[in-house]
Amino acid sequence: MTIGDARIRIPDRIARGDLITVNAIVVHPMDTGFFRTAEGQPIPAYFIRDVVVTYGDERVARFEWTSGVSKDPIVSFTLVADKEAPLAMVWTDSKGGVYRQSVTVAFTAA
Amino acid sequence: MATRRSFLKSVALAGAGILGSGALSSSERLWAVTGRDPGDPEVPNEEVARILKSLFGDRPIRRGHLSLDMPAVAEDGRIVPVIIESPLPMKPDNYVKAVHLIVDHNPDPHLAAYHLTPAIGSVAIQTRIKMKRTTWVRAILETSTGDVWAEYAHVNVSLNGCG
Repeated sequence: MTIGDARIRIPDRIARGDLITVNAIVVHPMDTGFFRTAEGQPIPAYFIRDVVVTYGDERVARFEWTSGVSKDPIVSFTLVADKEAPLAMVWTDSKGGVYRQSVTVAFTAA
Repeated sequence: MATRRSFLKSVALAGAGILGSGALSSSERLWAVTGRDPGDPEVPNEEVARILKSLFGDRPIRRGHLSLDMPAVAEDGRIVPVIIESPLPMKPDNYVKAVHLIVDHNPDPHLAAYHLTPAIGSVAIQTRIKMKRTTWVRAILETSTGDVWAEYAHVNVSLNGCG
């Protein structure tokens, strides 16, 4: 796993209108800037500071994070699955790194 | 609890003495204004008070309409689970537009903000955070109509997760 590798998990079976739970993880050190290496060198702050969640054309959520979020940040939230469309997330870190992942919300036949 | 009460009472009495002497630090002033114990989560330290003021202005921060689930004891401050849930509606004309997570004694207390829209459908946020030491944690939400609701959790931290 390298920095920025990300995964979004949604339920396998979704019906139109379901309130689904979305789980997301991104690989990132989330360094606070307060730790040192074993050699005593300070480790500079390096963390995800912004997360944008888009469903179809709509921005449905935005998260502002600090280095207080744990390493390899996970977040879960809900979504009203009212259309078949991509669910995309973009994580931006404090050095300008941008990481993307998306899944498609599709309805299972009733 | 009896021990804690008597301790708080003695602190309160000591505080009254300081009040009388006119020598007040600003945190004591804050306490004097609110009339609460220093250990009450609703009495923020100076930095947290500044954060709350900038986020919510003079609006009252009342307790209720959300839950904040965290372990009472976090053995590893690097990974502390957080679950925030609220039964408040997520309708276009009335929804929870933001949830703020504030950890009083962390180096950067305003740990995260979650900006939501009605499409999210409900407030049910889970994450994992770092905690430096034992402190109160505040989950505070703001509705699109301007109401502010809070819930608090006291977490004992064994291992500093912030460095």
